[in-house]
Amino acid sequence: MRQHLGRSITGHWVSVTGVLGRSTPGPRVDVVPPQSTEQSPRTWTLVVLAVLGIALIVMPAAFGMFARAPKGAVMLTEFRPFMTTSRLDGFQRDIKQINAGVQQSRHSVASYLDDGSADGSSGSFKADYPNFASFAAQWGAIDTHMTSLLESVQGNLGNYQAVAALPSFRLFPWFFVVPGVLVLLLVATMVIRPRRRRTVRWVLVAVGLGLVLAPAVFQMFQRAPKGGQMMSAFKTIETTSNVETIQGYFGAMAVGQGAIRLELVPALERTGLTRAEINTRFPALATLDQRWVHILNDMTPMIGAMSDNVVNYQAIAALPPFPLFPFFFVLPGLLIAGVALAAPGQKRQHQVSSEPSGPLSPDSSRN
Amino acid sequence: MRYRLRARVLLGLVALGALGAVVIPAPVAGAARSGAKELVGTFKLAAGSCSGTTPSGTYFRMIFPGGTIAAGKFFDNPDSTCTDQSYTLASPGTAGGLINGKYQADPTPAFSTSGGALASSIVQPQSFTAINFGIATNPTDPQTGLAVPAPVIKDKNGKLSGQVEAWSADWNNLHFNQGSPKPDGTKPGLTQAVSGTYNAKTHAFVLTWASAVVGGPFNGFTGYWHLQGTFKPKKS
Repeated sequence: MRQHLGRSITGHWVSVTGVLGRSTPGPRVDVVPPQSTEQSPRTWTLVVLAVLGIALIVMPAAFGMFARAPKGAVMLTEFRPFMTTSRLDGFQRDIKQINAGVQQSRHSVASYLDDGSADGSSGSFKADYPNFASFAAQWGAIDTHMTSLLESVQGNLGNYQAVAALPSFRLFPWFFVVPGVLVLLLVATMVIRPRRRRTVRWVLVAVGLGLVLAPAVFQMFQRAPKGGQMMSAFKTIETTSNVETIQGYFGAMAVGQGAIRLELVPALERTGLTRAEINTRFPALATLDQRWVHILNDMTPMIGAMSDNVVNYQAIAALPPFPLFPFFFVLPGLLIAGVALAAPGQKRQHQVSSEPSGPLSPDSSRN
Repeated sequence: MRYRLRARVLLGLVALGALGAVVIPAPVAGAARSGAKELVGTFKLAAGSCSGTTPSGTYFRMIFPGGTIAAGKFFDNPDSTCTDQSYTLASPGTAGGLINGKYQADPTPAFSTSGGALASSIVQPQSFTAINFGIATNPTDPQTGLAVPAPVIKDKNGKLSGQVEAWSADWNNLHFNQGSPKPDGTKPGLTQAVSGTYNAKTHAFVLTWASAVVGGPFNGFTGYWHLQGTFKPKKS
């Protein structure tokens, strides 16, 4: 009677009809010239594949992706209404219009109301309109900060669009977990169903190649670094401190505009100017006055989105750097494909004679 | 035999239940247990006024993040008629004020084309930095999307307490929950419970609370609400 010997992943010799321990005492069996062409995966390849599968499954949890990636998706969604050229241009226009109105008020209007005073700095204008004067004194810093912030955001519009074009962040953890589970199942299949291991091996190679190709398909090599640039640019923008500063600006601007609307314009009217004459003589002031509600309509939700997404930004910032992400797919993919290709090992064509002819020497029949 | 045993067990359980019902007092309504009594009617609001040394009537203030209710820093509303423009005065709405135990929901639409609030049942829309704000209480809080109970104010020996979870300030196409507690039952930041005084003879009341803004452009700010007026009991 002859028995085919294979090797389990523990390295023990296994017969088709029974199990032979490495040092199984008993009758001698002869290892006869090979006749079977069945291939057996090397033990280490299966171990490595299993480790890779587990690593893929564990990695998202280790990086906190399940909690953080959805926050990234929320941030991208909530920024979407504002991250368009027209909307960002609109914000820039808002700030320019406020600036023009403030400058005209502090110079031309002040001069007019002071009846000939050079630039309104003589003191009476400031004394008569302390709310506006206070705001005007703050405006330079506000303008600089807001303009810089908007330029930074606008400069990252392309980067935002690149990141937004990636698959939803909510899916990212699953891009690792699903292949990981698949690899583990395939390894298990190789162990449990040795006859299918040739097919399984090629499925593993396909899974590996899928991981390698995924970043290319999703254009991650181009988009992820852009995401990294966006995250860097937003580092100083998406902070509680910055948001509170902007909230403070909002309060100052409301007071300043209120002073223009409720103090300066009535004061100009008291000099005998009609509304039409004010509009003609002080167009920047008139524009600010007329567009103020629109500016509030426009900018308030943006401040809300900035505020609401501080936590979301911080969650994404705590993930590994964006530019590394493509390699989180490529490296495991290459390893899985490579190891799977190495999995078959040497052809093992053993036949074992049950007739005693000498001591069992498994080493002699190993690879 | 088995049936008899079951019958005995069942009888025993019934007897235990009956005993429990007698010995352990049945849960009573919160009002009865605490001694606080829900006032049924409308808290008619007195219009806010800055004529005295301190503002009176109905008003609200907004406190910057990091501030305190007592000392601010307060957000100035340029449209306030008070010298201290951190006080935004309110005048009674079409219902005269806050109807206890009832929702006074937002109209549809809730905002004008310029973002001004249209809710006018509790208070008349009032200008806040050039855009009207209004107050409403809706079954579903429009900011958080959470179901909230109708406001309930109770009186116990002249002390008012209760909840106004549904209190929502509308402004600039946005809703800001200004309830206490918040719709999730918490009291974040400077949020303070509803408290006040009530004179059962004159029906004069003062009701105050503070509510942190959670989320949106005013995240971290706190609204302080001061409602004053005369309670009008509902005719039974």
